[in-house]
Amino acid sequence: MSAHKTQEQLIVEKHIKTIHAGYNKRADGFFPPSPAMGDFRWTADLIISTYYQAEHGHPPENGLEYRVGKSEGGFDVLDINFLPEDQWTPEEVEIDLSIPLNKRGVGQEIEIPIPIYGGGMSYGSISEQVMQARAKAAQKWKTFFSTGEGGYPSSLVPYKDHIITQVATGMFGVREETIKHARIVEFKYAQGAKPGLGGHLLGDKATSTVAELRESVPWVSLFSPFPFHSVYSVEDHRKHVDWIKTTNPTALVSVKVSTPTDVDMVAVGSYYAGANIVHLDGSYGGTGAAPEIAKKNIAMPIEFAVPKVHKYLASENIRDEVTVMASGGVRTAYDIAKIIALGADGVVMGTSELVALGCTRCSNCERGRGCTYGLTTTDPLLSQFVEPDWGAERISKLYASFALQLKDILRKLGLKNIRELRGRKDLLRYIGNNAKRV
Amino acid sequence: MDNKLLAQKFIESRRGLVPDSGYRMPRNEVAEGGCGVIGMASNIQIAAKHMLQSLQQMRNRGNGKGGGIAAAGLVAEEFGVTQRVLENDYLIAVAYLDDGVRDELEREFIHAPFEVDHVVVEKHVADFESIVGLDVRPPEVVEYFVRIKGEALEAFIKNHKMENLPKRKVEDELVFQNTYRLNVKYYQSTGEKQAFVLSHGKNMLVLKMVGYGDDVIRYYQIEDMHAHVWIGHHRYPTKGRVWHPGGAHPFIGMNEALVHNGDFANHTSISEYLSQRNIYPLFLTDTEVAVQVFDLLHRTYNYPLEYVIEAMAPTTERDFTMLPPEKQRIYQMLQQTHMHCSPDGPWFFLIAQSDTHAEGGPVYCLTGITDTSMLRPQVFAWQENTLADGTKAAIGFAASEKQGIDAAMESLAETDSRFWTRADRYWNARGGSHTDGGAFFYKVTHSGNGMGITCTDKFGRIIPMPTQTPAFQADSKQTMHPTTKLPSGSADRIFELFKTQITSWSYEQVVDFLSVLEKQENAIDVLTLMMDRRYSTGRLRRSSVLSLIDQSFARVIASLAENEDNNYTCLHLGEPLPEFKDSDQTIIIDARGYESEGDDSVAIAIQQLYAKGFRKYMVAFTKGHRFIGNGLGLNTKGTRIDVYGSPGDYLASGSDGLEIQVHNNGQDQYAQIMKSGKLVVHGDVGQTFMYAAKGGEVYVLGNAAGRPLINAVGRPRVVINGTCLDYLAESFMAGDPLNGGGFVILNGITFNEDNQIVEMDTPYPGGNLFSLASGGAIYVRDPFERVSEDQLNGAEFALFTPEDWALIKPYLQENARQFDIPIERLLSVNGEQRQPAQVYRKIHPHATRALMAEEAWVTHQK
Repeated sequence: MSAHKTQEQLIVEKHIKTIHAGYNKRADGFFPPSPAMGDFRWTADLIISTYYQAEHGHPPENGLEYRVGKSEGGFDVLDINFLPEDQWTPEEVEIDLSIPLNKRGVGQEIEIPIPIYGGGMSYGSISEQVMQARAKAAQKWKTFFSTGEGGYPSSLVPYKDHIITQVATGMFGVREETIKHARIVEFKYAQGAKPGLGGHLLGDKATSTVAELRESVPWVSLFSPFPFHSVYSVEDHRKHVDWIKTTNPTALVSVKVSTPTDVDMVAVGSYYAGANIVHLDGSYGGTGAAPEIAKKNIAMPIEFAVPKVHKYLASENIRDEVTVMASGGVRTAYDIAKIIALGADGVVMGTSELVALGCTRCSNCERGRGCTYGLTTTDPLLSQFVEPDWGAERISKLYASFALQLKDILRKLGLKNIRELRGRKDLLRYIGNNAKRV
Repeated sequence: MDNKLLAQKFIESRRGLVPDSGYRMPRNEVAEGGCGVIGMASNIQIAAKHMLQSLQQMRNRGNGKGGGIAAAGLVAEEFGVTQRVLENDYLIAVAYLDDGVRDELEREFIHAPFEVDHVVVEKHVADFESIVGLDVRPPEVVEYFVRIKGEALEAFIKNHKMENLPKRKVEDELVFQNTYRLNVKYYQSTGEKQAFVLSHGKNMLVLKMVGYGDDVIRYYQIEDMHAHVWIGHHRYPTKGRVWHPGGAHPFIGMNEALVHNGDFANHTSISEYLSQRNIYPLFLTDTEVAVQVFDLLHRTYNYPLEYVIEAMAPTTERDFTMLPPEKQRIYQMLQQTHMHCSPDGPWFFLIAQSDTHAEGGPVYCLTGITDTSMLRPQVFAWQENTLADGTKAAIGFAASEKQGIDAAMESLAETDSRFWTRADRYWNARGGSHTDGGAFFYKVTHSGNGMGITCTDKFGRIIPMPTQTPAFQADSKQTMHPTTKLPSGSADRIFELFKTQITSWSYEQVVDFLSVLEKQENAIDVLTLMMDRRYSTGRLRRSSVLSLIDQSFARVIASLAENEDNNYTCLHLGEPLPEFKDSDQTIIIDARGYESEGDDSVAIAIQQLYAKGFRKYMVAFTKGHRFIGNGLGLNTKGTRIDVYGSPGDYLASGSDGLEIQVHNNGQDQYAQIMKSGKLVVHGDVGQTFMYAAKGGEVYVLGNAAGRPLINAVGRPRVVINGTCLDYLAESFMAGDPLNGGGFVILNGITFNEDNQIVEMDTPYPGGNLFSLASGGAIYVRDPFERVSEDQLNGAEFALFTPEDWALIKPYLQENARQFDIPIERLLSVNGEQRQPAQVYRKIHPHATRALMAEEAWVTHQK
């Protein structure tokens, strides 16, 4: 390293130092949360407790509410019916959090040790540094993260065993070799943040480097089509799956869909067309880049969709043939436990990981230089604020904290295994304002 | 006849059909997906077995949970009735899931209203489980040939005050309502599904079950049942663990049966539209709803077919403005009145109709209709033979894919010398268009000399077919001592000789020539040129000549397989992979027997051979084999695959460097995400060609169907010599063509019956060209400036500069080399040579610059 640092480097260093200090001071209670921070779903407490977990690897013990928000709906009005202490699983029993991603009995066996993998965020929507951080964390936890629809930066190739290649409707950056790299290929038909629309990358963020990887024209907004133009029916979808399987015969197939009212049928259709994973993306997910009109106004919350799909797959006798992953508003370890109790096998995380890296949920993601913390930007200066190793450590510790809490929850439910929790709606209790009337 | 009165009376009379228990509007019950469909119509009655191979090959478009067939224009003797009974009696086919209800059902719904002239119990395979994959017992089928009893008709007329309506119409309605009541009682209202009506029209029959469409033919042993019109269908339902044959296609209205590929989103609102007209669907699928709409518009409202089609697949956007004012006026009324019954979403319908009382004698009709946006694959084809006695043998097809048609042609040609393996013409419909209306009808009618058949479009215009020259008759013999002498030397030289001489040849001389050619070392190269190139065939039919060339090609491949040498190695399914010797060696893969996809597919075999070191491939006899050339990985330059037959979807997708030559028409989704390399298609290509392609050099002799090059980026460089249905290069993002980016050259030419190059009416008929594109360019050969601004959405015409010509010229030169389409011909307009800028027009994206603060900032940093 040269002793002489450029002015830019000095500025970046100073910023990193200040930003990092800020996360910790907030998390440790040194600063109160700023009054503008958070919303009812992602409260200031939840954001700051995520910072805390990302720093310490365990939940905060300083009174921060790290389990639920204040939305007065969904996860926030569900509680877990813990057993009396004498019925808890004994401390000496090891609790197993692993889930299989292929339950069909044919093809590659993949098991992840925690019921979590990282969701699709493209190069362009987030920086290469953030992608690397996610890749390193996925590698460390022997789980996965998805490329999203923006190509596969070559710096990720060393982590390819832990990367899901996403094939989305614009097929930006999708190439045969990136399909061949992957152990799991994800078809993204829709996303919960904006069902009925394709991916959006506004012109601000389609910088020259982003456009180069996507082979598009710089500074032109990229709106992926809503449907795959080659897939207008389940028969086409099967053909689409066959295509991926021809290119990479051992790849597992994940089908990511949003949660329309007939989501149960979509899930069954996906299964019969060969999917190993059905990934349901509910309406609370996504970044600030989704159009206001779409956000939270279309499709079902994940808490409704998961039980509906779970029940339907069970009635078709295929529930144990397919892995159901849920995303779109899963924020905490408690959310994870609840959605699994509602019928999912595991969850896909996106926003929580960004929060671990310092996201304040300011919803400025669509702007090229809108992200003060250098997360949802590919700006050459801003993106230096996230150092991949630092980021990987933060995400890893968040996972560690989640794992710790999940084990604790299972223990208090007298369970030994996260797979036993699936579909156990009876272990949940509604505690909302309408509770008396129910 | 008073149409209004009839519609009123019919709709009123159906009030009593609402089930006593009330009717629950079906919601969220439809579970259709894609499907595989084939339809064929001929003036000659054709056996069902000719659909077997076609349906077998299209099994990957269904999932075995529903299959069916429909036939119209049957043979009286095969049912043991007279022609008069066949044409005058209703043929009520009842499917019994529970045979115990038969007596009771017959008493109420057959013997009460009808005189039964004849009963046929459909025979079937004794043990249904002997058919692999069939796991639900198909229904027992009983067919009743019936006439309506006088008193039953009188009561019906009196009851519904239909005295002033035409008797035949009332009879149809009586049968329709009788069936409806039967279905409610024995299928819809009970928990136990006991029986339902398969079909009830005159001279038509539907059979269906839980299984594949081809298994319907096998199970009911109808391989040798003949009919003028056939449709076959595989269903791909996604929901439900228990399936019933009642949910399989075809569905019936009154005198028609409909199969459907696709699904539509507004099933509930169409059900509501129907319920306002007292029709209540019973089988909970969008297909049933579609046929009820068709029947309502056609039989109850008495609309001509053109208006029925318009109501279902409205003409929109620019196409609407291109219609004559009178049509616009009527179409607008139709659209406004029937908007709620227009299926919204991807669909392709095939409809078989029988009208035994038409003026001038019975009419059997096959109709293919596509939705306005052409979201499902569809191919039409035609073959026509004039026989020695002056009569014709003609057949028309409509199907999900060309290989399905080719399979049926092949099956026919095997047993019937009046047919051969290549159709005279293949084409696609342009949905909701002013050009063909997105629908074609094959009508089998009485003509002076037996039965005749015509093909018309939505507007009733007869489609001209290239069938003036006589077809080859299989009984023509080759002379014993062929006299043809071949020049020594290159394949090109031999082909040149053939090309100049065939104009004066007879079929015998062609056969002679081929028999000599087959012994030549470079026979394959010459045969390939003979297949690919367009040349005048003089007094002979091009499709017949091609058929002979195919046969010759097959013999040459067989002899190469027997005498393998250093140049050629052959691989058949099940054989161990040959050892690699040197990279000049060509490996011939006989695709017959290989699966379309999966471990036993041609695509995987090529990957395995590639890993061994093979670089030259010939894939012969493809029948819908998919994914050819996929999965070979990075940098495959130096590899070449020649594909013969009817290759399936996704060919060349993802390819990076290799060259693929398709010596025939291609199918859907070719060259998806192609990165680099070369693809040459000596024919047409199907839907979503080069979707999201990143690069590659691609030449297409004919047309591309809907949505070519959508979302393409990078630097694809493409020559399409014909045109496209619509949506060419939507959201094209391929940089600046003059600076390394991509482009499409659209030549807008075709070949006349004498195989000479001629201009199309317009190089681009669609209403959406280069919409929302942000990069790249279209170079369109448009000397008469037929393409107008209103076809461009976000693009504009640009000055065609010498730099543009320098850019595209090498590609036109290569185009000339591949297809023998000389640049001089392209630059010639009305026989006069013109400057490139007077012939080609350039279309590029609007020069808007969405200026971003960030862009300015980054630019400033540089």
